[in-house]
Amino acid sequence: MTDDKVAGLPAANAFFLALPSLVVFVLMGFTPLVLIATWSFWSFDPDTYWIKPVWSLTSYVALLQDGRASVLLRTAGLAGLTAAASTLLAVPAATVVGLLSGRRRAALLVALFTIPFFTSGLVRAFAWRLVLGREGIINNVLISLGVADTPVEWLLFSDFAVVLGMVAAYLPFAIIPIVLLFARIDQSVIRASQDLGAGFWMMFSTIVLPLIMPGIIAGFLFVFVVAVGTSMEIQLLGGAGASSTSIMINDVMRVVNFPLAFAIATVVVISLIALVIIANGMLKLSRLFEELGT
Amino acid sequence: MTRNRWNNPFQGIQSQLSRRQLIENTALGVGALAVGSLGLPRAARAANEVNFWATGTLDIGDDGWEIFMNESGVKVDFTDNGNDPGPVIAKLAAGNANDIYDVGGLQGGSEKELAKRGLISPWDLSQIPNYTSLWQWAKDIPYLTYEGKVYGIPTVINADSIIALREKAGNVDSYGVVFDPKLKGKTAMEDAWINSVTFTAIYLKNAENTKIAEPGNLTADELGLVMEFLIKHKKDGQFRTFWNGWEQGLQLVVNREVWVMTGWEPIVYAARDRGVDCYYAVPQEGYEAWGNNAILLKGAVNRGLSKMAHQFVNALLAGFYGCKLGTRRGYLVPTDNNVAYATAHSAAFDRAKVKELGEHVKAKFSSKVYWQNTRPDNFQLYEQWWQRLRNA
Repeated sequence: MTDDKVAGLPAANAFFLALPSLVVFVLMGFTPLVLIATWSFWSFDPDTYWIKPVWSLTSYVALLQDGRASVLLRTAGLAGLTAAASTLLAVPAATVVGLLSGRRRAALLVALFTIPFFTSGLVRAFAWRLVLGREGIINNVLISLGVADTPVEWLLFSDFAVVLGMVAAYLPFAIIPIVLLFARIDQSVIRASQDLGAGFWMMFSTIVLPLIMPGIIAGFLFVFVVAVGTSMEIQLLGGAGASSTSIMINDVMRVVNFPLAFAIATVVVISLIALVIIANGMLKLSRLFEELGT
Repeated sequence: MTRNRWNNPFQGIQSQLSRRQLIENTALGVGALAVGSLGLPRAARAANEVNFWATGTLDIGDDGWEIFMNESGVKVDFTDNGNDPGPVIAKLAAGNANDIYDVGGLQGGSEKELAKRGLISPWDLSQIPNYTSLWQWAKDIPYLTYEGKVYGIPTVINADSIIALREKAGNVDSYGVVFDPKLKGKTAMEDAWINSVTFTAIYLKNAENTKIAEPGNLTADELGLVMEFLIKHKKDGQFRTFWNGWEQGLQLVVNREVWVMTGWEPIVYAARDRGVDCYYAVPQEGYEAWGNNAILLKGAVNRGLSKMAHQFVNALLAGFYGCKLGTRRGYLVPTDNNVAYATAHSAAFDRAKVKELGEHVKAKFSSKVYWQNTRPDNFQLYEQWWQRLRNA
């Protein structure tokens, strides 16, 4: 790549190629975020039910009251747990697809992993209520096998149910980036390690794992970000009144407290951007775009 | 969402936008994620067309609206407003709802706030002859008027209480059962302060003699008492869950996840259809009454559609709409015109059933009722307390 060429294209052409995406990003992504961040410092106007440009930190103070800060932390905690569990499941799953399967079987497996996306998230989450409930499939099996005398209550309407529902829903987000990295590993590197006598675990831990690490981190982040933003699983599977940042924003919007809703959104977005920047700095996510094993 | 039971940015660009207009229009583009879908201005429409923006419950379907048009001369374009008063008010206050819709249908309580801010207009009752047919207690709903003018026309009315599984809960006649430690983990309430706080206030006022003046409009002190009570019971593990929407509520009953819960009467009928032995309790503390009221949006008046809007609301009370809605949803328009219409159109409607529905609701209202209020004076304080409850 030279200074005036991008992937073989003259830089000017490359710029024009990227321009539509750039415009969309700025108009529909960046600008709203800046406005929301700005308005979060404005004040609620009870006379108009809207906001007025009176600068104030009221919303950020309110964010620290009534347990709102703990909702942010709790959302991050549940999302972190979900992302960690998804990643733990995704690595072996992606290894089967990327390392141990032929092309046709790999394609089939990837298609199977995307099945959760074929139906609406609401239906998916709701279905777990029928599986985990007091008269659900699992409790029926446990009782009929004599493992439990009475229905296990914590299976549903609990953090366990929420994390389970989110992992089932968002696991593909963790698998796909790793599978993509597997596809880019130079097979000669693996063959060389085998020629040198490395067993599967030696080869996997010393060669493959470092190469797919950016995919693992990317998958973790994908799941984390999606889980932070969801409310369905928490509303349908969580305990009485379980909350998340999305639910809290909805609650606040119901009472037209726009500045507070904007403040919550701003804190979440800035936190997520910071997380991605830190992850990139520490774990070199940019390697996702490099050649592997060469 | 409180009662979802069943279940522009591109307006004419002005050469000089004020800052507020600029903010509002930009906000509509930006705030779509938070406030929900915004809708776009409609194409040119017929002179007799009214855009009715209301709770899905009030929809009588294309076939119903067609007959409605033939009988009233008003063509209705129905849009579900989602029924959550918060976003509806937000779209009226900061969005473009007034540019699009003519008549709203909303859970009662917000009329005063909307009228105060000039977002809705008063109805001219002389243009609604059928208004006189409304049952008096429906006309007397406290929040329909502001400064002596009528802003809300009761379109649907009912009263809610407790759903109970007969085999598990026995005979229930008090909200106290929802808070009974013997049913710990087997009870539920709605995930909405509008309903759950009101139910709890009704219980505390009547069963525990707590000093509460109006359960639908609590003072800060009263609200504190009610919420501390709810928080204590939540911490004790009393509630299995707080539910949202028709499907969730029904599933809790059908799968016996909860044995008693505050909820909507149609859930009982649907659960019975699925073989569940449940019933709707008659609570000694009284019902939580609610009304879904027609409001005249200011935009309709500005567009010269006031007369058509009045003609539309008059037709809502004429009888056909009440019969159709009762048949389709089991909800009642509080007027005797329903029975009169069913009598005159016996091939289309079962008069006995129409009459039975009316008598059933009348019977509820003959006992003690407290009106639900979607916009109590301290509504933002309600939300703060609800957060504390969520986190308890």
